[in-house]
Amino acid sequence: MRIAYTFELFREYLANYIKTKLTYRADFWVEVVSDLMFSLMNLVFIFVVFQHTPALGDWNQSEVVFVYGYFMIAQGVFGCFTNLWNFGDRYIIKGEMDRILTRPAHSLAQVMLENVDPPSLVGSLVGIGIMGAAWGELGLPFHWYDPFVLIVMVIGSVLIYSGIYTTLAAISFYSDAPTGIIPLMYNIQSYGRYPIQIYNKGIRFLLTWVLPFAFVGVYPASYFLAEHADRSMAWLTPVVGLIVGAIGLVVWNRGVKRYRGAGS
Amino acid sequence: MLAIDVKQLRKQFNVQKNREGLKGAMLDLFKREHTQVTAVKDISFEIPQGEICGYIGENGAGKSTTIKMLTGILVPTSGHIQVNGFVPHKDRERFVQGIGVVFGQRSQLWWDIGVIESFRLLRKVYRVGEADFKQRLDELVETLALGELLNRPVRKLSLGQRMRCELAAALLHRPSILFLDEPTIGLDVVVKTEIREFLKRLNREHGTTILLTTHDLQDIEALCSRVIMLDDGRIIYDGGLEELKARWGKGREVQFQFNDPIPNERLEALTGGLDVRWTKENEQTAKVWIPLEINVSDVLSRVVGTTDISDIKIFETSTEEIVREIYRTGSAETDQQRADANLDEREPTARAEAVRS
Repeated sequence: MRIAYTFELFREYLANYIKTKLTYRADFWVEVVSDLMFSLMNLVFIFVVFQHTPALGDWNQSEVVFVYGYFMIAQGVFGCFTNLWNFGDRYIIKGEMDRILTRPAHSLAQVMLENVDPPSLVGSLVGIGIMGAAWGELGLPFHWYDPFVLIVMVIGSVLIYSGIYTTLAAISFYSDAPTGIIPLMYNIQSYGRYPIQIYNKGIRFLLTWVLPFAFVGVYPASYFLAEHADRSMAWLTPVVGLIVGAIGLVVWNRGVKRYRGAGS
Repeated sequence: MLAIDVKQLRKQFNVQKNREGLKGAMLDLFKREHTQVTAVKDISFEIPQGEICGYIGENGAGKSTTIKMLTGILVPTSGHIQVNGFVPHKDRERFVQGIGVVFGQRSQLWWDIGVIESFRLLRKVYRVGEADFKQRLDELVETLALGELLNRPVRKLSLGQRMRCELAAALLHRPSILFLDEPTIGLDVVVKTEIREFLKRLNREHGTTILLTTHDLQDIEALCSRVIMLDDGRIIYDGGLEELKARWGKGREVQFQFNDPIPNERLEALTGGLDVRWTKENEQTAKVWIPLEINVSDVLSRVVGTTDISDIKIFETSTEEIVREIYRTGSAETDQQRADANLDEREPTARAEAVRS
């Protein structure tokens, strides 16, 4: 009932987004192109690295690209729904949270819906392409259930990202200026898109159990790989997703109670 | 049934203290100092259904903080609130379904899309049925004259047009209580009047309870039967507007413009036996101050009958002056005896207006 309601709202907000963006068409394409440029640069970086060395750890170029493709899919979906970068500025400091809180839908759902960003889904499409190409190059077998497994994995990964960034956004309810944390997190997050086995033990532990960014990349992607398949870690992805997502929601719900409004 | 029931409501904020200078900033990095500010100090009041109540006070008196607690935006530090049968911050999502909120300085509408699109989105958010929505929208379009605005994007509306749309947006789901935080701020006189008329009609026809904060005391005079006045987080007055005026209005002043120069003695002689005070503005103009116990018409008849007058103006103590006076002294309770003595003889129509003959 409540989920159906939220989904219907999502459709409405999306329709509104499209109406708005149709008035600013140039804006839409600039966003798509800049997103793609950013991803392309990271991909070029991978190719440059492999021009100097045949393998990273025991990962070859196609495998690393495969993981990167997976990462792009999850990143695109996350960017579309959980666009909380300017949450603190816009909703807390400028007090727009007031408006959110006078409406009968969950506050986090409303904030997420108001900031939907469909252009980043283009990144997901490109990710699917990259993954598919690497799939062929590696000559991996294809099972009928692979697409469904992929969907479950991506949902788990997106939940992890969303949970972590929701938690960070919710810190704005407690502290005045948490803006320093988000760029730091963004840096750590980018480690997750490369095979975790190439890092030392400390970083591996951090990325698996503390800030589980490795579950947005190498672990779930390894499910499909022949050489590095680690099924148990892969299947942990949706579990970790649910846990981290739940933490994000709880921190948010508690944070909202501490919201203090802005101005008069 | 009570629409709003507030008991011993209190809200405290932790405010960060920023120490001075570079050294202070460094110290702040490691150890923050906080001070507690109490914005609302244990206030209690009750508002029955169908009442229009004005909530007034200077900037920083705690008006907005109270409204935000009543609408479920802020969680109170202590005390008890019940609005529409709900504790606002506990059951927020169900509670807000039954209230409408307009913040004069903040928009409910989506900036870039047509007004009607915002309304449609709000219809979904508030789960209003299509038929019901249509009927309600038609009604609002008619009473607020929104016809031409519906397809324009909000950013292209004037402030007055936007405000009318905001009101419509807040009423689409037929709330039984409407909260207005400075609804007429920055609007011109015509739009202000339209909005006041609309609110009166809403209250009359739908029995909507209205609580509004404002700095414009004309809003209060036009709309409210009841006033709650706040100062420094405490309620300093809660009661009828008429009573407030009766207690604090100290008298009226009448200004005469004579055709010929008139000496002071002559004026004094005219009102001999009445406890009034004359002041001369210039040769041909004089003002007389009349305390509440004396009828203005008594004075007028004595002066008008025997002199040649070109103009008369009557000045009432305006609500604004009364409120200013209350803030200056800090309490509405002083001067109690005097007020009681005057209460019986006051005129029923106490209005701040200048009459020209």
